[in-house]
Amino acid sequence: MQLKALTRTISVAAFLGATALTTAAAAQEQKTITGGFDVGPGGFQGNFNPLAATGGFTWLNVYFEPLVNYNADLTAIDGALATEYSVNADKTEYTFKLAKETWHDGKPFTSKDVKFTVDLAKNGETGTVFAARLNAVSSVETPDERTAIIKLSRPDAGFLATLTKLMILPEHALAGTTPKELATSTWWATKPVGTGPFKFKQYVTDQYVELVADDDYRLGRPKVDRVINRYFKNTAAAVAALRAGEIQFTYVEPDDVAVFKDNKDFHVIEGQSFVVNYLGFNQQVPLWKDVRVRQAVMHAIDRQAIIDSLYGGAATAANCGYVAKQLVPEGLNPYQYDPAKAKALLAEAGWDKINGNKPVTWLTYYNTPQAANVMAAVQAMLAQVGINVVPRVVDTPTYNGIIYAGNPDFSQFPLVYAGLQNGPDPLGINIGLNAAQKPPAGANFLRIDMPELTKALDAALAETNPQQLDARYQDVCKAMNANLPWATMWVANRYGVASTKLKDFVWVPAPAGGPYSAHPEKWSIEK
Amino acid sequence: MLPYILRRLATGLLMLVALSMLVFILLRLAPGDPIDAYVNPNVAMSQAEMDALRTRLGLDQPLPIQYLAWLQAAATGDLGYSIQRNGVRVLPLVLERIGPTILLMAAGLAIAIVTGIAAGILSAVRRNSPTDIGFSVVAFIGISSPAFLTAILGLYLFSVVLHWAPSGGMLTPGAPFSVSDLLSHLILPACLLSIGHAALIMRYMRASLLEVLNQDYVRTARAKGVKEFWVIMKHAVRNALLPVVTLIGSTIGIAVGGAIFIESVFNWPGMGLLLINAVDTRDYPVIMGATLIIGACVIVVNLLTDIAYAAVDPRIQVA
Repeated sequence: MQLKALTRTISVAAFLGATALTTAAAAQEQKTITGGFDVGPGGFQGNFNPLAATGGFTWLNVYFEPLVNYNADLTAIDGALATEYSVNADKTEYTFKLAKETWHDGKPFTSKDVKFTVDLAKNGETGTVFAARLNAVSSVETPDERTAIIKLSRPDAGFLATLTKLMILPEHALAGTTPKELATSTWWATKPVGTGPFKFKQYVTDQYVELVADDDYRLGRPKVDRVINRYFKNTAAAVAALRAGEIQFTYVEPDDVAVFKDNKDFHVIEGQSFVVNYLGFNQQVPLWKDVRVRQAVMHAIDRQAIIDSLYGGAATAANCGYVAKQLVPEGLNPYQYDPAKAKALLAEAGWDKINGNKPVTWLTYYNTPQAANVMAAVQAMLAQVGINVVPRVVDTPTYNGIIYAGNPDFSQFPLVYAGLQNGPDPLGINIGLNAAQKPPAGANFLRIDMPELTKALDAALAETNPQQLDARYQDVCKAMNANLPWATMWVANRYGVASTKLKDFVWVPAPAGGPYSAHPEKWSIEK
Repeated sequence: MLPYILRRLATGLLMLVALSMLVFILLRLAPGDPIDAYVNPNVAMSQAEMDALRTRLGLDQPLPIQYLAWLQAAATGDLGYSIQRNGVRVLPLVLERIGPTILLMAAGLAIAIVTGIAAGILSAVRRNSPTDIGFSVVAFIGISSPAFLTAILGLYLFSVVLHWAPSGGMLTPGAPFSVSDLLSHLILPACLLSIGHAALIMRYMRASLLEVLNQDYVRTARAKGVKEFWVIMKHAVRNALLPVVTLIGSTIGIAVGGAIFIESVFNWPGMGLLLINAVDTRDYPVIMGATLIIGACVIVVNLLTDIAYAAVDPRIQVA
């Protein structure tokens, strides 16, 4: 009897032990990629509503999907939820053939969801940032479940680029919520339903977001079981976590790159920031009315010396708003460093009479040590030709508050040091340069009103022939180079660092985080 | 007693309203509004887009109306929604942060009290020995190092270089809850938080014990043949602790300030981190909500302290 009891005890113990081991093994097998996907200028921590998102697309794109998306080189727009699309001759009708896909809750994705999403995105009550961008959309038709036709009232060269940021939302889950309620709905952060390769599991406030693999994703089940997006207060904290081995990816500041460059455990990803840095001349201030003064500023600054010494060569000088080869025409004025010429131009323009001896406030929101060094160098170079600028560094909200004020005090920002996204949709700069975009209509806060430039931008906006588009952007570039609404400086590189354990991982330093086809379902991780 | 408590509570309520009004006015006097924090200057947004956001957030209304609307909602327990975190309510957001802050502060203070008192006793007993000098040097460094510096250095050394502790957060993301996981995340920030307080407590303990050790009753105890260990622990330390206890009481207030830095460096999800993030992003509803809840806590704690004093010492009149 005793022996029987003993045998039974041992059997039960062995069974329990085996179960525990199996469970432990199963837990260990869970493949997880953890990263700081919302760190840096492309991120938007705590944002879950793609209708109101001005950034953070790297992450949103892991569980939501747009109809079309940029490829990972950011050079072309391919299908995403739409397997193919066609455009009619006068570029006012876009027909999308939709992929066969189910929402994360198992309901089928149909053309009605596309119509529902576009209508929501046009409705200002939802807090959407798309209303103005989708102005040209007149209607969405759904002839069958797999076809959606978006009709425009006029051609819009930026329409497809806008659609890459418009994540398609489930009608069945959101139709019961009014557009106004949607803006503050907890749905986005608690139980969002998308079509992407990963499903939303949980958000631990300000700590992390956890997604789990969607087993029946149309492009194949993801190779890892979970993707976790950890939140960090700043890049330094994320870099510490990366070096401590707690995360496998984050954006890093250029200063941090050296730490990782020769380390075999990490892989540095380098790419264009698509943000052109410039000295912006406020056209409401008489100082900058004469183009010779603006030319003098260009000639006074040794851009290449700054790029070589302060950016370690990781930037490209810009002679207009673009640096991408196909957008920059031959024969631009390179504005070589020539302080003597700068002085002569200033004398010709009667600089003494315009400025007197008053220093010019140089406003910026760039507050990194590197930016401080760059500004000190530029300040010294300008001083050599007799332009006395005084940098004023403020935080971003203060900067925005000053430049976007309803009744702005122009003396607070006669000159700015700023940046503006110039890609992957090169028309991104239209809003800051077109005379029609002067506030309150748009974001042309420097009140730039240069007819040649506006004409070039308008022509690019209305261009419907994709083959002609680059030529139109080149015209914009030429007009910028000749008229100098900004003293364009450079486009700096941006960096991400990934653990070498990550395989088939795609990250691109895209403005606002993209989106682009990152194919998270293919990402994997080695033990 | 009851009328006194009710009167204090009523005064407290008025103080909270005054506090909320003050914070509201100060916030609006500061340049920039939440929309300005929302917009990335590198990605131009049109005025129409910004206006739509402003309307959605109710920021297009005149200030008194915004304040009254907030006050009316707050009276019913609705502190509104966070601007930066879409759809997240402020009240639960703030309430869930109180626990982690108390945990961090309590752990930090506990470590500070134990190490500070122990080091203080050792220093006093071995006065002018290398141990005493060593502890004193460490204490001076501890007192004079700002919290953010010790936090960053500690993070770098123990987390990045030595890999002894996680670099941030309260729990391993995505892992099931376990006490050991929580403790592994807590130990480093709590130790770093304790440094300054431990140093202060050590100096007080040392001074106080040295004073006591010269007292007649200590000498008497020694003369009676009591072992030195018991002379120190039983006779001297107990008396020397009194001023230290008073110091510890006043330290709690200072600990809140230190906790804000530590929470920020270690991404510890407490009130400090919440407030710093909210200020950074001009998240008015969260700033207002957090200030209100902290204010309410302070008022209640003060009231409880006064009542406790009165209960302990009948000479104190509360009526």
